[in-house]
Amino acid sequence: MTGILRGTYDAVYDARDNEFGDSAGHSITLQNSGAWVAGGGGVPPLGGFLPHGGPVTLPFSAVDGSANAPGVGFGLTAATLVPGQKLANPNSGLIVLGEHYTGQAGGVHYGVPVRPCDEDDRGCIDDYMDADEDELAHPEFNDRWDFIRELYVDADLALGNGNLWSFRVGKQQIVWGRTDLFRVLDIINPIDFSRNTIYDEFEDTRIPLWAMQAEYRMGATGIFDDLNASFVWVFDKFRPANLGQGGTPNQALGAGDLFRGLNNCWDNGCTVSNFFPAAVASGLPPNVIGAGDPTLPGFAATSFGPHTIGIRKANLPSWSLANTQLGLKLEGIYKGVGWSVNYLYTRSQLPSLHGGSSGPSIAFDPFSGLPLGTPQDYLIAFDIEFPRINLIGGSLDFYVDPLKTVFRVEAALSEGEEFADTTRTSLFRESKVLRYVIGIDRPTFIRWLNPNRSFLFSAQLFGQHLLDHHEETGVSGARVGMADWEENWIATLLIQGNYMNDRLNPKIIFARDVRAHGNAIAPSLEWLITDNWRLNFGANFKTGYSGGRHRYDDNRDAIATPGLGATADTAFGLPAGTVPVSASTGATRGAFPLGVFRGGIFGAQIEEDEYFVNIQYRF
Amino acid sequence: MVNSKLSAALFASAALVTGNLNAAVTEADVQGSFFPYQDAAPAVEGITPGTVINQSNWQIAADHLDEAMLEAVKEGWTEIKVDETTSFDLHPAYVEATSSGAAKVSLGEGVGNIMGYTAGRPFPQEPSIDDPRAGEKLAWNYQYGYNWGDNANINPFYWKFRNMNSGKVERTLKFGFSFLNFKHRVGTEPIPEYDENPADIFRSIYLHVLEPFDLKNTQLLIYRYKDDAKRDDSWLYLGFQRRVRRLATGQVTDSFLGSDLMIQDFEGYNGRISDMNWRYLGTQDMLLPFYNHNDMQLSDEYEDDDGYRYIDFGGKGGCFPQITWQLRKAYKVEVVPVDESSPISKRIVYMDAQTFTLPRSLIYDKADKLWKTFLIGQAHPDHHLPGNKGTGVSLDDSFMVMDMQSLHCTTGQFRGMAYEVADRETFSVQHIRIKGR
Repeated sequence: MTGILRGTYDAVYDARDNEFGDSAGHSITLQNSGAWVAGGGGVPPLGGFLPHGGPVTLPFSAVDGSANAPGVGFGLTAATLVPGQKLANPNSGLIVLGEHYTGQAGGVHYGVPVRPCDEDDRGCIDDYMDADEDELAHPEFNDRWDFIRELYVDADLALGNGNLWSFRVGKQQIVWGRTDLFRVLDIINPIDFSRNTIYDEFEDTRIPLWAMQAEYRMGATGIFDDLNASFVWVFDKFRPANLGQGGTPNQALGAGDLFRGLNNCWDNGCTVSNFFPAAVASGLPPNVIGAGDPTLPGFAATSFGPHTIGIRKANLPSWSLANTQLGLKLEGIYKGVGWSVNYLYTRSQLPSLHGGSSGPSIAFDPFSGLPLGTPQDYLIAFDIEFPRINLIGGSLDFYVDPLKTVFRVEAALSEGEEFADTTRTSLFRESKVLRYVIGIDRPTFIRWLNPNRSFLFSAQLFGQHLLDHHEETGVSGARVGMADWEENWIATLLIQGNYMNDRLNPKIIFARDVRAHGNAIAPSLEWLITDNWRLNFGANFKTGYSGGRHRYDDNRDAIATPGLGATADTAFGLPAGTVPVSASTGATRGAFPLGVFRGGIFGAQIEEDEYFVNIQYRF
Repeated sequence: MVNSKLSAALFASAALVTGNLNAAVTEADVQGSFFPYQDAAPAVEGITPGTVINQSNWQIAADHLDEAMLEAVKEGWTEIKVDETTSFDLHPAYVEATSSGAAKVSLGEGVGNIMGYTAGRPFPQEPSIDDPRAGEKLAWNYQYGYNWGDNANINPFYWKFRNMNSGKVERTLKFGFSFLNFKHRVGTEPIPEYDENPADIFRSIYLHVLEPFDLKNTQLLIYRYKDDAKRDDSWLYLGFQRRVRRLATGQVTDSFLGSDLMIQDFEGYNGRISDMNWRYLGTQDMLLPFYNHNDMQLSDEYEDDDGYRYIDFGGKGGCFPQITWQLRKAYKVEVVPVDESSPISKRIVYMDAQTFTLPRSLIYDKADKLWKTFLIGQAHPDHHLPGNKGTGVSLDDSFMVMDMQSLHCTTGQFRGMAYEVADRETFSVQHIRIKGR
């Protein structure tokens, strides 16, 4: 039996509580690049900013269809509160989505509550992103007992024919594949990106699962130098990747902030910058001064009441036999070539946003107050799902003597993954995905740097191809559809040297996101002071990533709220066709909500260079 | 003597049956090879049992210590305590295999090509300086030597990284090592080889790191194939990656886990015959580190449950095993890498003529300057752990690799058990994956 316990204290929530803890956040203003014609009020200047909750709320409550009082709690009244909603959605404890990234810059942004969920539960998604301060500062001490990092029992059963069954049952990490830094086959355990995003070792960031592995080891058999069959059953309750909660310092692709802000939008309402075309907004009751003024330029900051847009909930699969995961692997060596064939029946550990026609129902049209009760095509109201995935793949490694180089190849084809797609009424599309890594390792002498010890050069090329990718030219002439690149590559190069009997180890990693034009450079120096003490310091810098490659169709001009279709035209006396009821035209583009994914992991952190000092003592 | 008589009888029997003896190999060759001291031990004036060679009298050993060890003595880093020369008889079955098989062995064209070998010492004849391939034959005698027998375990195996100037121990690694001959086995079943060996592996080495914590679970697996033209395969499991990585050749000729050893240094030389050019330089009576473990000064630092203790280290930086040395017949061989990208220009090795172990190696850098010196202390199996008695294996029992340029050394203390049965499954990639996961 083997057990590993781990406890962590992340001091950032105490040491910098005004940035990440109980006092984090501030009041915010949202860009109003167009003129909003307020009922009985004036016209804010173009290019101005309006406070969260400041712009006029949509006319009616999507909860009960009653008329909203403009500017008061996003239309909520005590009488209309439902469990979980707050009467107050104050302009405090917030940041603007992406404020550390691109600024608002004419795009779609909204407030993100950033305090731990015990201090401020706005935007906290039940069972998914709802950690309180203790759980953030001591992440292992949660209701999944993650302080038991690993606990498993090994058993072997020798058979009469010389073969061997090996079993491991318990909480464990199951590592497939042959490559570093990328997870093509190594996807059984989800990753905790809240631990320094992608910059910690997988060993530390994999989330162990309760599982059983059974290996049937046949050894040298027939034409194979080694042959083994492996069966994996993950019977743990499903766990998604931890993308980092909104308001916390380590988030993958900024998804935590994006989701928390959207959940607050759904639960409590929110103000969204630069949303409605001023030309349309100016014609909406009860703010009508006159008919819509098509001459008004820009986009108006818009306040939505609860249950109109946003993320309603995350549908985490409950435990059932049908929701467990299965894996099969056949692995061996043939004429010196290591190989494996892998199959995994699993779930996506990354969230899929089901919106529009697959999203939550809207009870009432917030523009007309008329009952709806059905999901609305293209509506940016979502439920988070974790779809089933079938994955088949394989790997190879071999040595090419003339090149003095080891080659490592890993590839996987998945079926069932889902990606945002603004052309679909449900705003997502399923796509088969081909991923692969080709890696080479070559020790090479650089004698003027170290005459007696070689440097390890390890290069990898990771490729991802969305085989059912869809993109088309929208009405505006710009591209709409799936923000993710149809095909993309990330190249990495690691160079590591060793001095002082490997007690001083300089290392540098270069990474290049080919399509996003983002780079990361991560130099570090490790010093093993003694067998117990280790000092590691370094940095990672992100560069490149210019030219607006992170901007993409932001779906603003698709039907954004229910009622804004033909019935809305009629109800409000607007000319037919004034309000679109179709997919986005692609005319509006920004870094959020989808562009940030297009920018990739380096692009999302372009403003987050990091310097670190790590001191370890091992008992 | 009993062993030699038995060998002679068997050899004669084989000769009668086959009638196909290579006239170049005689039973006298075999006897001379395995029992060089049956008539007389080497004698050098001034060097007798009990002599201590140190800074004040190093001159008496000037022709009987290698360049590096002589320098260490002259500098006062250590002293050499001389003991009686004793016979390290190898296992009778290995001797018998030599008697019955050596006549059928010959070299093919090109280095690394051997034909007709089944088991035992392939070339028991005395090397000739006039034989251009004498060095290669000696290399084969080492490669197919009885080093650790057919299988063995070393566990635990302590390595210490030491700064010679400060004497500070910088790192301590604790290993388990296992060796398994897949082929040419003579002493333990299965004899002569394992079946189900499609890759035609000759020998495998497996090691795993037990301490320290940051290296724990690191494992190394090496396959050497019967076909010397086939490059070794090596896999490394890194605990922090939980992944098996195939090693490139360059990593075999690089510092292993930060020590002063390369993987290629294991056991004195760990590689293919064809990776090197071998040149026999002559036969000498040399002082070599051969001793009886139980008679040595043993360390108090570690003591196993059964009371076993390890060789102590002292001298400059604590780099020198506190052992006795014997005057022994040795073959001096120059070993030059074929691969020009190798970090070394050559090795000078002293092969012990009786055991064909490599107790002393001198390693030169690309500028042909002495870079490292490697000592492997050889313990007699009958004066070691009870389980080793009668195994006929010259036991690697202590080592020291000294970087003469940076004055740094790595020392090793063994608990070696010859013939301890290592599970064949241990020597598989899947095993290291499962053990490490």
